[in-house]
Amino acid sequence: MSARRIVITSGKGGVGKTTTTANLGATLAKRGKRVILIDADIGLRNLDLVLGLEKRIVFDVVEVAEGRCQLRQALIKDKRFETLWILPAAQTRDKDSITEEQFAAIVAEAAEVADFVLIDCPAGIERGFRNAIAGAKEAIVVTTPEVSAIRDADRVVGKLNEKQLPIRLIVNRLRPEMVRTGDMLSVDDVCEILSVELLGIVPDDEEVIDTTNRGEPVVLDETSRLRPIYDKIARRLDGEIVPFTNFDSQGFLGRLFGALKAG
Amino acid sequence: MTLLRGRGLGLEIMLAGRDFDAALEELAERFAERPGFYRGTPATAAFGAGAPTREQLDVLRTVLQSGGVELKGLSGSVEAEALALENDLEFVRAPAGSEELARRRALRPKRELKLSDSARSLVADFAGARADIADRRKRGETSVRRSPIAPPPSAVAASASPTQLQLVEPSPATLYHVGTLRGGQSLHHVGNIVVVGDVNPGTELIASGDVVVFGRLLGVAHAGAQGDAGARVYALHLDATQLRIATCIAANEGPRKAAEEPEAAMVADGKIVIVPLDKAGEVLARS
Amino acid sequence: MHVLREAQDDDDREGAAGAVRIELGRAIVITSGKGGVGKTTTTANLGTALAQRGARVALVDADVGLRNLDIVLGLESRVKHHILDVLEEKVTLDEALVPDKHTGNLVLLAAAQSREKDEVDTDKMRDLIARLRERFDYVLIDCPAGIETGFRNAVAGAQEAIVVCTPEVSAVRDVDRVVGLLGNAFKPQLIINRLRPQLVRKGKMLSVEDVNAILRLPLLGVLAEEPEIIVTTNRGEPLALRQENATGAAYHAIAARLAGVDVPAPTVEIKETFLGKLGSLFGGRR
Repeated sequence: MSARRIVITSGKGGVGKTTTTANLGATLAKRGKRVILIDADIGLRNLDLVLGLEKRIVFDVVEVAEGRCQLRQALIKDKRFETLWILPAAQTRDKDSITEEQFAAIVAEAAEVADFVLIDCPAGIERGFRNAIAGAKEAIVVTTPEVSAIRDADRVVGKLNEKQLPIRLIVNRLRPEMVRTGDMLSVDDVCEILSVELLGIVPDDEEVIDTTNRGEPVVLDETSRLRPIYDKIARRLDGEIVPFTNFDSQGFLGRLFGALKAG
Repeated sequence: MTLLRGRGLGLEIMLAGRDFDAALEELAERFAERPGFYRGTPATAAFGAGAPTREQLDVLRTVLQSGGVELKGLSGSVEAEALALENDLEFVRAPAGSEELARRRALRPKRELKLSDSARSLVADFAGARADIADRRKRGETSVRRSPIAPPPSAVAASASPTQLQLVEPSPATLYHVGTLRGGQSLHHVGNIVVVGDVNPGTELIASGDVVVFGRLLGVAHAGAQGDAGARVYALHLDATQLRIATCIAANEGPRKAAEEPEAAMVADGKIVIVPLDKAGEVLARS
Repeated sequence: MHVLREAQDDDDREGAAGAVRIELGRAIVITSGKGGVGKTTTTANLGTALAQRGARVALVDADVGLRNLDIVLGLESRVKHHILDVLEEKVTLDEALVPDKHTGNLVLLAAAQSREKDEVDTDKMRDLIARLRERFDYVLIDCPAGIETGFRNAVAGAQEAIVVCTPEVSAVRDVDRVVGLLGNAFKPQLIINRLRPQLVRKGKMLSVEDVNAILRLPLLGVLAEEPEIIVTTNRGEPLALRQENATGAAYHAIAARLAGVDVPAPTVEIKETFLGKLGSLFGGRR
């Protein structure tokens, strides 16, 4: 049985790849899937931090590649979930410490024992990016509705097309009130520019900063409004057709989300 | 149920309440998966309220040998004690209540997830990790020289089984670094390491001797990396991401607020403990 | 110190930027490791502010393949040639430098969009920066995210560094890594960006002290989260053009400090009314 192997990438840094990887992985695990998250950002690892697992790192992906330990020894189980593990990146090494072949082999090995392998890709389109996509069979491109992010995403889409990876899009950190005033691109604008199938729309939420600082994926919070959104994304990933929610304009109330789509 | 557990410098093989043959099959599989991984590690077999037969003991030893592991001790019932004496093995008294624990464990419904065999072995295995760190140090990193020196007599008295690991040379050289170390940087040294400055998160200090940080220790420090469990970690402000001494690993997962005073970390009773600097002497006397 | 070179090439003599300078300009790389913290925005705004003070400023986009500095300045339609064209000597430096449309004394050397970072020759990059230093008071190099080839090339030729960090744990870790890689030779100074004072007060965000407790760098400036930034980057009008805007003013203060003027210690340079505005624009839980 082989898992879905999905790389989560963007080109632009800081748009939410790591946060998306963590929250999507956690959501899939909560739905009963066996999920392995792999941090491909060697030298600038953050996935462990975002999940609050940095203190439990004994081995990392480079040591697995060098054969100094087995994959299962390097995997860290997130005790908050039944079926979520992470393979951390190395911090004291750099991206030249692992080859594309080695990385692909590790992803393949992880795919043998999981339902989903999500790969957190570093920013950029250099060696780190090439390593990260090496083992993937699908891609999720994360972008924010800003011109620079979209331009970078476009470049990345081009590179992913070269490898013929199916791509879907998550538009992150949307601020509907800014879309309404014309200060931010709408989701439709983004999709049209990138011509990529939409997987999800995640609104901006100030809780995310605090929760990532504390190492608690925001989907752990039952009251978080991002939880049902990631749940929908997970369901779409599973093949379900889930409509994008329309926020009722009655619920406006100064919460400013108006009659705009999210979800 | 866990088959292998790390205990101090060696492995504990948990056979209480398990089907012996199935357990040994799993053990053999583990060794086959990673030959040489546990090599050189001593092991104790725990039988809980029971005892093995002579034949079972032989089979156990054979399987262990295939992984390069030597059986050093047994724990279990009175029969197990007798068998241990007969075979020149140590008999480890189980802590009080462990019989009850073993009985309860055996009665507990199997809570294992329905996973494939390889998935089941996915659980991060700290026992394996610790043994591997010892193994790595023995094999030697490029930056860490190996020195084939016999363990000093004082170390042997403390542990139940004589250590198989290399120990630090007497009077090792000390690496002295002035300045703050930043994330991604690492210092590896045969001998002691002294840093005058902070050690930021994401930094690694690996020493065969002691680690002293005259500043804040926020990264990972590994003292006694070649196996010296008597090595210490000292810091003016000890708030490491992870501490390692010989083959023990400790991470502060709870909301412990780092104290404002200088502290020392050392191994006591097979675990890493952190004490204020002025109490360090007491702990040493007790252990 | 570089030995002053006689103007020998045609492009040096003919250049719009004029004669060879007596004192070499300062080449400063603006970096962070972490993406999305505001390197490009800082480069554009700081460059604008410095130029408005009368300095001659060249901005270099070292993010080959993912160029953005031109967008932030609103110059994307005016870019005809890029840095690789210059490094490969297909065009002269002057042909590639694009004058800013808002501020005099400010030029841009754009990155290539369809090329790769490893196509940049590090030694040639160093020479290029050296040539720019001969003609400009400040050469600000916008560094890409990460610590790979792009980073190494951006740093080649710079003598100083400004690191930009947001008050988030992952950013602090990445910046710390970069500062470690840079070493003391670059005399790194820190700009903390995207601070949200009300979140800091609620204990939901790192404070300036928290960040600098790890980084321990001289603080060049602190900027609050500014929703207008997105608008200005989308429209290509740096906030530094508007001194009445709190963030615009902050960039001017930073420029002054960089120039060695003794501006009072950086605090969060925002106004009271601004706080109210922040509150209403950020929906979600409070």
